Amino acid sequence: MSKILIVDDEPHIRLLLEQTLEELEDNGVELLTADNGEAALGIIRSEKPELVFLDVMMPRMNGFDVCHKVKNELGITNVYIVLLTAKGQEFDKQKGKEVGADIYMTKPFNPDEVVEKAKEVLGL
Amino acid sequence: MQVQLRKLLSKKELLAVINEVIGAAGAPICVMDHDERLLAGVEINNPSHKYPVEHETKIIGWVSGDCKASAIASLLSYQAGVEVQKKTLARETLEKYKEITLLYSIAEKITSCLNLKEVAKLVIDEANKFIGATGASVMLLEKEGGKLEIIAAFGSDSHPEREINPGEGIRGDIFLTGRAEIVNDASSDPRYVEGTDKIASVICAPLKIKDSVIGVISLSSTVPVTYTAEHLKLLSTLASQAAAAIENARLYDELRETFFTTVHTLAETIEKRDPYTAGHTRRVMEYSLAIGEHLGLSETEMTTLKLAAILHDIGKIGVRDSVLLKEGKLSDEEFNAIKMHPVYGEDILKHIQQMAKVIPGVKQHHEKYDGRGYPDRLKGLEIDITARIIAVADSFDAMTSDRPYRKGLSLDIAFEELKKHSGGQFDSDMVNAFFMAYEKGKIVL
Repeated sequence: MSKILIVDDEPHIRLLLEQTLEELEDNGVELLTADNGEAALGIIRSEKPELVFLDVMMPRMNGFDVCHKVKNELGITNVYIVLLTAKGQEFDKQKGKEVGADIYMTKPFNPDEVVEKAKEVLGL
Repeated sequence: MQVQLRKLLSKKELLAVINEVIGAAGAPICVMDHDERLLAGVEINNPSHKYPVEHETKIIGWVSGDCKASAIASLLSYQAGVEVQKKTLARETLEKYKEITLLYSIAEKITSCLNLKEVAKLVIDEANKFIGATGASVMLLEKEGGKLEIIAAFGSDSHPEREINPGEGIRGDIFLTGRAEIVNDASSDPRYVEGTDKIASVICAPLKIKDSVIGVISLSSTVPVTYTAEHLKLLSTLASQAAAAIENARLYDELRETFFTTVHTLAETIEKRDPYTAGHTRRVMEYSLAIGEHLGLSETEMTTLKLAAILHDIGKIGVRDSVLLKEGKLSDEEFNAIKMHPVYGEDILKHIQQMAKVIPGVKQHHEKYDGRGYPDRLKGLEIDITARIIAVADSFDAMTSDRPYRKGLSLDIAFEELKKHSGGQFDSDMVNAFFMAYEKGKIVL
């Protein structure tokens, strides 16, 4: 069973992403959520999701740090990380690459694009 | 909305609670979905009690065991209701979010577009995706005539093809009132004007800049549909973005117009030094554009060509009158002075950033295809295409115009000259394009 982790400190973004990805539950995909970086890290360790939608701007541990820790320090490479960045905010693409993120998407995200990406990554 | 008990119990937290309750019950309990597959607890044959888990009178599962199973069934029914409520909200929120995302992307598209017709077209196309129509149009108030003119339209909204008066028909009326409206039964509306297409429903919003209405956007359907308040809200949002973009495009057009006029005036001022070359700039521009059009140049390339053609002799301002206006044969030194004008042209234009693409056409218009031109003896495709075009147009006009010391050549002889030097002095593709354009009547002498 494939797992997708949604990480954002804003509840409405989590809800929207969950609702967007809900159709994949019929394909046996399990949706997990976390509202901060530390919790996300714990879930990535224990649940080993294939795909993570990871908000960059979060209090305490931000998305860059989570991504860096997962891909470099913990050496978990079989996880696809999508960084979520707010539109209009200066996003450091170079930094995204350095910490090992696979791609980034801007918020407001396009729901169709999110589903498409998830299907592609999970091979559905 | 449907809810499946199996899906509900796939949530770990809920399953944990249910298992805990089952454990506390002290007797075997069995939770099954509607087609009796086991979801929690243990399977029980012939249970004494069996309670349905329901959502809105629909049975979505069963809890069986002893009488305590009833409480679990109620708990799950309640939970199903909560879940549906949550999902309904989430779904609605997502719908709204999709709308916002779309509006966002439309806004990005239209605000980055500076062509009036393209903006209008884009807006009706996008509005159509949202609202669904058999026709749509953007009408704008003409500044001089005071009438509403169609800028972009398709289908049942393309009529009438003429402009309308403010106040005429539904669209004309909305232009006056400045208030967006839905007319779901158009033919019985007193303002309805019988068009070529019979329209059944219309949704229309004014295009406003601050407090003044500059036009209207409308969508219509030939089959009866019910446009909703939701549609109207969306169209109004779109209309306000469209109005701003249209105003931008208009201002840009005006600016462009001013720019071209200024450039023209500048070129003509220089032309005035030599009365015998009157009209040369305009003709070279017209011939060049005819060639460029025949070659299928893009809009941007055509603009560059136009500017380069207008400005090709701008550098002559740096050549002394005694040389420029001299009648009769020039000395080598004098001819060398004349030959500097393309370079002076570059010197003048290089200070204007927006002219960067125009410079090659100005600097290289005396280069020859065979490499025997000036100032840099460029050859073949080393010479910018605008310069290769202008070279043909410039030479043709020089040959056919009268000069104080000689009469212009006849057309036939000038044509012969062009043919003779095609592939030598001139790029043969440009010469061919010149003749093709001439045959099509695009070159007016």
